[in-house]
Amino acid sequence: MAAKDHTIFSSYQRDPALFDELYDEKGEVKNIYKTLFDLYGSHSIEDYMRLNEKAKSSFFNQGITFQVYGDKDSQEKIFPFDLFPRIIDPAEWEVIEKGAIQRSRALNLFLWDIYHDKKILKQGVVPLELVSSSENYLHQMMDVDPPGGIYNHISGTDIIKHNDGKYYVLEDNIRCPSGVSYVISNRTALKRALFGVFNHYQAYTVTNYAENLLELLETVKPKGVDSPNTVVITPGMYNSAFYEHSYLAKTMGVELVEGRDLYVENDFVYMRTIKGPEKVDIIYRRIDDQFMDPLEFRSDSALGVPGLFSAYKKGNVTLANAPGTGVADDKAVYTYMPEIIKYYLDEEPILNNVHTYHCSRKEELAYVLEHIPELVVKPVDEAGGYGISIGNKLTKEEIEKVKKQIAENPRKYVAQPIMSLSVHPTYIDETNSFEQRHVDLRTFTILGKDREFVLKGGLTRVALRRGNLVVNSSQGGGSKDTWVLKH
Amino acid sequence: MSLEYRIAYKAENQYEHPVKEARWQFLICPHEEEGQKVTSFSFGNSLNFPYEVSTNAYGFTTMRILAKAEFKHISFEADFNVLKTAASPFDFDLPLDPVEDLQRYQNLHFRVEFEPFLRRTQLTTLLEQHSKFFEYRKEKTVFENLVDLNRWVFEKIFYTPGVTHVNTTLDEIVENRHGVCQDFAHLFAAVARQFGIPCRYVSGYLHQGNGYFGDSQMHAWNEAFIQDVGWIGFDPTNNILTGENHIKVAHGKDYADCAPLKGILYSKGENTTNHSVQVHGQQQQ
Amino acid sequence: MLARVANNLFWMGRYIERSEHIARYMHVNYFSSLDAPHEISRSRQFVLRSMLRMAGEAVPDEGEELNEEEVLHRLALDPSNPFSIISNVRYTRENANSARDLISTELYESINKFYHFVLKYPADHYKKKGLYDFSVNIIEMSSILRGRIRSTLLHDEVYAIILLGVNLERANQLIRMINAKYQDAKEARGSYGDTFSKSFEWTTLLKCLESYDMNRRHYKKTPTSLTTLEFLILNPNCPRSLMNCLNQIYNHIRVLDNSFRYNKDSTAFLVGRVRSEYQYKYIEEIEGNIQQFIDGMLKNLADIGTQMENEFFHY
Repeated sequence: MAAKDHTIFSSYQRDPALFDELYDEKGEVKNIYKTLFDLYGSHSIEDYMRLNEKAKSSFFNQGITFQVYGDKDSQEKIFPFDLFPRIIDPAEWEVIEKGAIQRSRALNLFLWDIYHDKKILKQGVVPLELVSSSENYLHQMMDVDPPGGIYNHISGTDIIKHNDGKYYVLEDNIRCPSGVSYVISNRTALKRALFGVFNHYQAYTVTNYAENLLELLETVKPKGVDSPNTVVITPGMYNSAFYEHSYLAKTMGVELVEGRDLYVENDFVYMRTIKGPEKVDIIYRRIDDQFMDPLEFRSDSALGVPGLFSAYKKGNVTLANAPGTGVADDKAVYTYMPEIIKYYLDEEPILNNVHTYHCSRKEELAYVLEHIPELVVKPVDEAGGYGISIGNKLTKEEIEKVKKQIAENPRKYVAQPIMSLSVHPTYIDETNSFEQRHVDLRTFTILGKDREFVLKGGLTRVALRRGNLVVNSSQGGGSKDTWVLKH
Repeated sequence: MSLEYRIAYKAENQYEHPVKEARWQFLICPHEEEGQKVTSFSFGNSLNFPYEVSTNAYGFTTMRILAKAEFKHISFEADFNVLKTAASPFDFDLPLDPVEDLQRYQNLHFRVEFEPFLRRTQLTTLLEQHSKFFEYRKEKTVFENLVDLNRWVFEKIFYTPGVTHVNTTLDEIVENRHGVCQDFAHLFAAVARQFGIPCRYVSGYLHQGNGYFGDSQMHAWNEAFIQDVGWIGFDPTNNILTGENHIKVAHGKDYADCAPLKGILYSKGENTTNHSVQVHGQQQQ
Repeated sequence: MLARVANNLFWMGRYIERSEHIARYMHVNYFSSLDAPHEISRSRQFVLRSMLRMAGEAVPDEGEELNEEEVLHRLALDPSNPFSIISNVRYTRENANSARDLISTELYESINKFYHFVLKYPADHYKKKGLYDFSVNIIEMSSILRGRIRSTLLHDEVYAIILLGVNLERANQLIRMINAKYQDAKEARGSYGDTFSKSFEWTTLLKCLESYDMNRRHYKKTPTSLTTLEFLILNPNCPRSLMNCLNQIYNHIRVLDNSFRYNKDSTAFLVGRVRSEYQYKYIEEIEGNIQQFIDGMLKNLADIGTQMENEFFHY
């Protein structure tokens, strides 16, 4: 079936250099997309525009909005949402799911090791400098046994499909990965706008995330607690992810607290309720390590709870994720993931890692400085897509600037070949038509004691600007509903 | 032979605007370890807020107070009786081969184990040109070099209270050559770590009976790791090895890990704190 | 429930009620003044002053000419005025935001829509010809919020706290309106032989509180000072009356504090005390000294609010 038969796809232009997920090798619409293609194609442009506007106002009325860091007017914005869903084939999903679990498990064992015996460092499998130069390596966590032995309860794995058709992991986010609420609100918005399409596809539900999160968190409750009292802690309503924090608290049916709602007495944590103090056992924290406890970390932080860390160290409260997970979230650690997986699990990595050049190594630094136009240069310790330079998008002056930055502080940078993210048809407001846009996928994995859960779906993030490869919402990215089909 | 000390710690806090809620954490209790025993202690404050005893992230005893009332002034008092057993700091043999001695510090296993105390922290970072002033002599053992370093730091900085503060960088201190015991200890640690020798920052009390430097506040010194021996105390402020006059409270990477008093206030405006420490000693049999 | 969040829900209830009362008072006064039987009641300056007084703003001296557009804008859409409707709606949403995990999606969505409606309302259109449309919308959207509160929240502590806020604020606004109209009735007295007790202002007052039809049905004659005040203060069956508010406040506080232990420092005790004082009063005992009643009741209500804060929201 050719695209021109369909009104809203009639102007869809395919760049042969890009890997378009809609089509197979022969250039035909893939089987799993055929029905969807027909269903969407039956809409006129006007129809589709109307649906699109409706979906937008649905987000706005639900107050599913965020604010961009450092934005002066800090206007509320909706996270742009694309109505054309991404479909993941069951066989492919199986690989992703197994791969995500494998990585989370390996990272958890890595964290346990570097905060206990440090065997991997002593045997030189990964360099000592990996942790010794990381500000996220918390000595306060040395020899602390987190309840159930779990550090990274919640991991967000960013995965792309390269033009070789294979999935690659770009990043493991194990500090406070966000975005899961958008997975659910995307599904809701799509159902509201185009419920009919769900009659033709059997996709896994995504609304079971919160109940699984609560269940798995309860498997790592502190010792001696029968029915644990769980809370979600947020920096407050002006945080860009506040909607998500309140969504999770609400769907888990637990309290959403701020630092000032909690206090520590005799190394137990309590919250201040209208009926007096109530003990808290499990805290799903959405504030960073450094802001958690002003007595142990940054003393100027008003977000945290004084004494929280000593309550944690005594084993009286579970923190998820555990303090100090940030060290394994470092982009430099990512580059050793194949070694880490092999070392702890004695397995081959299921998901590919992108080859990484370490600017801290002399030979690799030389290569990077010579090949900037072919590489993506990233600072190892920045989140949210800040500070990334994509080589083939840089002017001559910019290349020189990047070179200078790297040369001044090589340890701060890693470089990777420019991966070409797959593209997916995305409706563009400005042109009122579908265009190819780059996408990635963030999966959400929860580790509990001897159990794990991967949300069947995940957040497909779209770089809305033509040719752009950075999909982060803070960089103008949008998202799509993502269907994992049942067998 | 043992010595008994009585330590009186006092702190007074004055606030510009009334405080409605506050939390303080004191890291001032002498550490229980070999050769040092706390025989009694008392702790109180002028507003009679209750306190709780806990441990901080590094395992040292802390006292915490949660205050919920309106006030502009509060004072704290602690008294400790400590029993010290005098031991000779030189009670070990020096290694025979200085080169091999230093090489053992390069062992990966060793560096991993002692990583926290080899780390450059914000307070123990020194520009290369400044650390070059001290020359490590390869023909001497690590211990002997540290003794030299102790003297070098002692001669490098003039003990001058009030010219530096928590945010003064080590490089500024080396350039201006004035500072207090914290600065001496940070400089010692910075240089020792550059040679790969694990070094701790130690906070505690000094019995000044013998005319040692240190004002009427808490003292700071260092502990460096000597192969086959263990942690040995150096007091660069006084150019001595630590002994029965040094009563240790806590150690860490630098001052930030050992601050004697941390306060979280829910109030605006300025506040001032005054500390005073008195150590009285008497010899026992 | 967290003490901080309870405090926010309480104020959310108060702000919802407050914005509606301001809108109703502006709307009713402005439009009923257009066909008022007397010159003073008809005077635009008189009406604008009354609005300012009710909203708790400083009322300028008699000689000073008020600009109608300015006053209307200030009370409704001026974001720099903390007492304006737009500010109230913003506070409503902020308080709802921080308790978002506790309130229903339906309620939150309605509050959010309400906020965006007010935020986007064109100020120019409003000042020149939008007063009716704007205030009717505010009143209707507030009713929707109350409906959502009643029908989409579990009737538990969360519900009780919101309704405590709603009813305490309603009682407060009621007394303020009585105060404003009492002053108006005194000022408007004398023209065309109108007496205080038969002032047209009593009709306006009832309309401001959406109680005119109920009052007519109950007394079957033109409202007077006595029938109006009796109805609005003492009749527990009138949903806008003080007595009705006090009864509701009492019922809701009982959800939070169901102990029957004698405790004269509890909020429940204080509410019960105020309530029983008015339960068996004659209106004649009040009408003789309205000002004293107004001042005393405003203090009572403020005391209840403070007591609640100490007992439940202190964190």
